[in-house]
Order: sequence, then C-alpha cells, then structure tokens
Amino acid sequence: MKTILTTLCALMLIVALAPALSAEEEKAAVAFEQPILISSAGQSADVKLVAMLAKKQKLDATVAEMAQPADLGNVKTLVIVPGFSSKGLGAAGVSQKEEMERVEALVQAANEAKIPIVMVHIGGNARRGGQSDGFNKIAAENSAHMIVVAQGDEDKFFSQIAGEKKIEIEVVDKIALAAAPLGKLFAK
Amino acid sequence: MCSRVVIRQTTVVALLVCVVLAFGWLSAAAQSSEDLQRAASGRNGMVATAHPLASQAALDILKAGGNAVDAAVAAAFAIGVVEPDGSGLGGGGGMVIYLNETGQSFYINYYQRTPARVNEFSYDPEADRYTGEAVLVPGTVAGLTLALEKFGKLPLSQVIQPAITLAEEGFEVDATLAQLLLDNIEMLQVHEATSEMFLDDGFPKMQGDVLEQPALAHTLRIIAEKGHDGFYTGPVAEHIVAKVNDEGGAMDIEDFTTYQAELTKPLEGTYRGYHILSANAPQSGEALIQALNMLENADLKSMGYYTQSAETAHLLAETLRRAYADRWQFLGDPDFNYVPLNGLISKQFGRERFNDINRYKAEPRDYRTTPAGNPARYDQATQRPLDMTPAQADRQQSEWSDDDEEVTGSYNEWGENLFDNWGGKKTNTKVKKGTQSDKAKKDSTAVSDDDDDFDDEEFDGHTTHLSVIDKDGNMVSLTQTLGTFFGSGITVDGVLLNCGMSNFSRTSNNNMVEPLKRPRSSITPTVVLKDGKPFCVVGSPGASRIICTVVLTLVNIIDFDLNAVEANAAPRMYCQKYEDYLFLEGGFDRDVVTQLERMGHNLRVYEGLDLFFGGVQVIIVDPTTGVYHGSADPRRGGVAFGY
Repeated sequence: MKTILTTLCALMLIVALAPALSAEEEKAAVAFEQPILISSAGQSADVKLVAMLAKKQKLDATVAEMAQPADLGNVKTLVIVPGFSSKGLGAAGVSQKEEMERVEALVQAANEAKIPIVMVHIGGNARRGGQSDGFNKIAAENSAHMIVVAQGDEDKFFSQIAGEKKIEIEVVDKIALAAAPLGKLFAK
Repeated sequence: MCSRVVIRQTTVVALLVCVVLAFGWLSAAAQSSEDLQRAASGRNGMVATAHPLASQAALDILKAGGNAVDAAVAAAFAIGVVEPDGSGLGGGGGMVIYLNETGQSFYINYYQRTPARVNEFSYDPEADRYTGEAVLVPGTVAGLTLALEKFGKLPLSQVIQPAITLAEEGFEVDATLAQLLLDNIEMLQVHEATSEMFLDDGFPKMQGDVLEQPALAHTLRIIAEKGHDGFYTGPVAEHIVAKVNDEGGAMDIEDFTTYQAELTKPLEGTYRGYHILSANAPQSGEALIQALNMLENADLKSMGYYTQSAETAHLLAETLRRAYADRWQFLGDPDFNYVPLNGLISKQFGRERFNDINRYKAEPRDYRTTPAGNPARYDQATQRPLDMTPAQADRQQSEWSDDDEEVTGSYNEWGENLFDNWGGKKTNTKVKKGTQSDKAKKDSTAVSDDDDDFDDEEFDGHTTHLSVIDKDGNMVSLTQTLGTFFGSGITVDGVLLNCGMSNFSRTSNNNMVEPLKRPRSSITPTVVLKDGKPFCVVGSPGASRIICTVVLTLVNIIDFDLNAVEANAAPRMYCQKYEDYLFLEGGFDRDVVTQLERMGHNLRVYEGLDLFFGGVQVIIVDPTTGVYHGSADPRRGGVAFGY
C-alpha cells in the first residue's frame, strides 16, 4: 500500500512539473529566424542603433519604429528596443499612453502568431526608471531572449525578470558589444 | 466634559484640514530630497546652472573676488564644454545684467546673425538642418567678452580657465548628456569631427564615460590669449568660414570681423508690483511681459492653483497662446522691421487680450487659428528701424491700427462683470471699442500664417540658462543656445556650430531671413526687482516652451508664494498658437484634466516631469533676511551652489 502511495505521489509530481519543464525547454528551444522586424517601445532613437548592430551582423532586418500587428506578416522574429523618449514620441505624434497601447497590441499579436521576441536594451541609465521602465517591463516579460547593456541592469531589473520568467539574458558592457550576441542568435 | 474635548479635538482637526487644503498646491510642488540636492542657500553669492561643473566654475570665481558678471561669463564658457548639446562658442544668446549699486540694467544681445550673402541660398529647415546653410555667425564669444570688458572685474584668462581645464582633462558624461547623445545619434553621425568627439566606434558615449575635447581646449586658449579677436579674426574664423562654405553655406570672413554683440537695455514691465527686466527684441522678454500683463487682470490666487483649478489652467493656456500668437506676428529684429514693442508690453494691450479670452471654453478651438491682436494702437515711441523711412513706418503702423474711438466701461461682450468673474478688480482705464477678436481676425488676414501644417521653427530648439547673484546684489540672467540640440552638428576646431537659420520664419512676418539679421528667439533671461531691490533671477532652456515655463515659474513664485525649489518642482503646462495640443506635465488633478477637455482643450498629458518643459535655473532673494535661495531644475542635470 505504502509503495502504491509513493508511486502515485511521484507520478503526480511528474505530471505537475511536466508543463513547467516543457515551457522552460520550449524557451530554450526557441529558434530565432529571419526576416526580423525591429521596433521601438517608447520611441527612443535607440532603435536606430540596434538597426546598426543588425546591419553589422548582416541580418535581414526591417525597422519600423511604429510597427503595428499587421506589419508582422512574414516576420519570423520581432526585436523590441525599449526606452522612453519624449522627443521621439513628439516626432511620432503619439502620447505615451498611445505608444503603450501600440506596444501591447504588437506584443500580443506576436505571441498569438508564435513569433519570438528579442528584447535589446542598449540605453543604460538613460533608458531606465521613470517613464522608460513601463516599456522595459512589457518588452522584457514578453521576450524569449534579452540582450542588455550592463549599465541598464545595475539594479538587476532585467536579470530578475529573466530569472523569474526563465528567459535567456546576455549582458554586455558596451553598445557595440551587443552586435555579436545579436548575430549569434540568428546563426543557430 | 468628554464631549467638549471631542468637539475641541474635532475643531482642531478641522482647522488643520482647512490649512492643509488652503495650501494644497504645495503638495503638487513637494520638495523631494533629490530636488533639495539641486538647491542651495547663501548670503554671499549664488549660482544655478545646468551642470554642477559649470556651477562650480562660477562659484570659484565668486569666491576669488569676481562679481556676478565674472561668474556668469565663467559659467557660460564652462557650460559650453560640459553641456555641449545646449550652447557653446559656436552659438549665441542674451543676458540681462542688473547692477545693484547704481540700479542700472543692461541687455547684451549676442544672438547669431546671418551672413551678408545669406540670400544666395534657400534654406530648407528639413533638408538643410545639418549643412553649412544652417549656420549663422556665432555670437557667444563677442557677448561674453563684451560683458566682461564692460562689467567684469577679473581678466578673461582667469574666468575662461575652468572651461579650458574641463575641455582638456575631460569630464564624466552625466545622465542628461547621455540621454541626449542617444536621442540625437543620427545627426551626430553626419559629420566626422562631431562623431569623433561624441561617439565611440559610431555609438554614443554613455553616462560615466569621459568626454575630452582637446580641439575645443585649444580654441579656448586662443580666446583666453586674444579675446574677441581670437575668435573673429585669424585661423579660427578662417577655418569656420571655410568649413561652412564646404558644407554648402555662403559665409565670408567679413561676416566674422564685422560681428559685434549689442549692448542695449532690457525690456521692462511690472507684475503685481514686481519690476520685470527681460530680454529685448528679437528675443522674447516681450512675450513674457505681455503674458504677465494679461494675467494681472485676474486674481490667480483666489481662483486656485492651476493643477487643481481648471479655471486657472484654462486662463493660463488661453493667455499663453495669445502671447505666442502676437509674438509670432510682430516680433523680429527691430533693426530691420517696425516692432510695436511698447504696444505689445503695454498694460492696455494686455487687458485687451485678456478680454478676448472666453472664460468657459477654448476659443478658437483650433490653437493654430488663434488670431493675433493689434498692439500698434497702443504703441508709442517705439523707434523705427534706421533704414525705414517715416512714411514706411507710418504706413506699417496704420495697417495695424484702427480708428475706433476710445471709450470707457465695457470691456468685451460679457460686459463689466468679466473682471469680477475672474477674481480681479475692475478699473476705468480707457480701452478701445469693439471686440479684440473681431479686429484681430481682420488683421490676421494680412499674413499667411494660418496654415494648419505649419510647424513652429523653434519647437526643437535647445538652449541653456544660468542665473547668478553676487554678494553685492548684482544679478545676471543668461540664456544661450546652438539653435537645436547639438546645433548643425558641424564641428570646426572643436567648436560645434549653431543651426540658427532654423529660427527664421518661412511665411510672411517680421522674422523673415535677411542679410546681417538676427532671428527671433524664445530665450527669455529675466531679472525681477521688488521695491527696487533684487528679488529673483530666472530663465530656462526649452525652445518655444521657454516663455511658458518662465511665465509659470514667476506665477508660482509671485502669485502662489512658492519658494525656488517648489517652483521648480511644480508641474508645468505648455500651450501656444503653433501647437495642436495643450501639454500638461504629470501632477494635474484628474478632475482638472477632465474639465479642460470639456472646455475644448486638446490635451497631451505626460506621466511625470519631463525635460520637454525646460530647465529653469532660479534664484530668489528672501526680502526679509536677504538670504539667496537657488534651485536647478530637477528635469535636467543642473545644480545651484551658494555660499
């Protein structure tokens, strides 16, 4: 009887853990493919720098700062560059609220279409706190992979999300050093 | 017994609640510890700039025996090094100087000026922003050396030394500069010398990285040795002229050798008994004084604090967009155009424009159709330009004037009750008959500025401001600029050149491009006296927001009794003719936002404080104790130092 109970408990534990392990495995097994769509979350000019990094790595990437769900079309990977910029929002003619709504819709559409999201945060302290962190959070939490310039993660903001959500994170010292890990993702 | 105690306690609590509510606006302007770190108090001197290193340079000069002008010049040279996005040797500006001992005040206009051959090209602000066409002849060195020569005590070599050291040895990039390098990355990549200065392998320097500017240090040394001529004659001028022409401009060495800063008087006005000294034309002290003249007709304090009273916020918005509309219509370089300055800053015109405001709704609904008023009818003794004949001046003035008879009494279509409705006092001052709006609509047809697609040329502009007071009560309020962030992006001998051409208008008004002309600018360096004594030094960067921001800061200080730190922490708003929105910073009551929308305002609400709304450097002198209180704006990286 004792053996039966032990076996049953073990089976239940396996069943309970199985989905979690699968999700983790699923995250680890995500394939990042091209073509890539690079978009902003917060309309900072950082998106242009990430486009430079992608170009350096000869990636098949299109930049659409204000990308909408309809732009996902044949996109295989969505790269989101978070960071608030009032100058950028002004140039785009949108409010912070409207920008957040756009990002939420884009992320949701990508998730539904099973398009993996890569978050690239390169702005350091300049794109942390205040109005930036709302965009950082939604981009980070919905990503399958993060590349972060170290200054932006001094308080472990991104590392903590990565740990909790079992997301791979790569931290680099300088913006220029983000190019290699970005390229490597698509070389797998 | 017990119930009496309860009643007494209840009464005390109720009274406390009343006191808290009565001063409720202070909660909106709470002093955080970070705000206080940017503030200082002292009796011997005070300086507030956009960067701690520039404030330190000025403070050291004050402690070394320099006066406010010496300290301001030291800070102005230094800020051009440590805040290179906002100003520098390649730009220009203006400063109000008040000498306490004699009660004299001066204004030095050292704004950039067009080259003589400016008409050889047609500048397109979109396509040519980062070319030689954008560059005007810089005025910073002329202005600062003139100020020092006329009013300083220390030699140029001493006051410029901190700037040289900072450029040579470098300094750590702060959070504000790091953000701006990121925000402006594309334009910084356009020109090689600029990329080499601010970028590492094509990517922006980050907070904490060291920025060295050896070429700029070399140019500063030449100026230290040769003064004004070190910049306007010889190799530096030759190199700039050559580079500007290589990049598509049309500049000659004579444009440099003939450049002089102008020593004039500040524009003067009053606000609730305070004496306002501000930037003369074509800079924007005029708009500040006009807005204050309009607001003076209402009792803002009784109406309520503007983050908690939709009525007050509405009045501010409607006032400001009218002041901006009039500024756009009439303000320009007075050496080239008849500018009805005395009319614009007259109390009568202020009242007339105030009466044009609908108390209950935004009118006209579309900000861009805000008609200009007619200040010419109140304009007396404004000098016409030297090259304008009396007949021309009369003709221009008659176009703006009308022949309505003067009447007393009724102020507008709502009648005499309007002033009382706003909480102000009704007076019997003579005003013109007829509604201002009707007349102004007629006048506005004279220019083609009602284009819905028109953008304010100064929207993206950027500047820096610094305020100084010394132990003797001498005050300097100085604002200088490169035009927009990092100017044209063209660097020569370490000098980042301006894009001042963007300050000119493209449609017909007083601010059209002409040879050897200075463009209109939003800069509004201001000094305030109370009972003839120093009271306040204030100013802000922030392009077209400058005027709004300085008005709000003075309203916060004078109407709502906020101190320097509170005035800087208070939420701001921005509304003008060439905008589609009334911009509100975070901190406005939700009910106020809702009511403003109901009144017809098209709102854009920020979540918190934002550098979009400027970066005020303010010093207030306590009238009772004489202690100086300085504050740098928490929206940017500045700090006030005093001793």
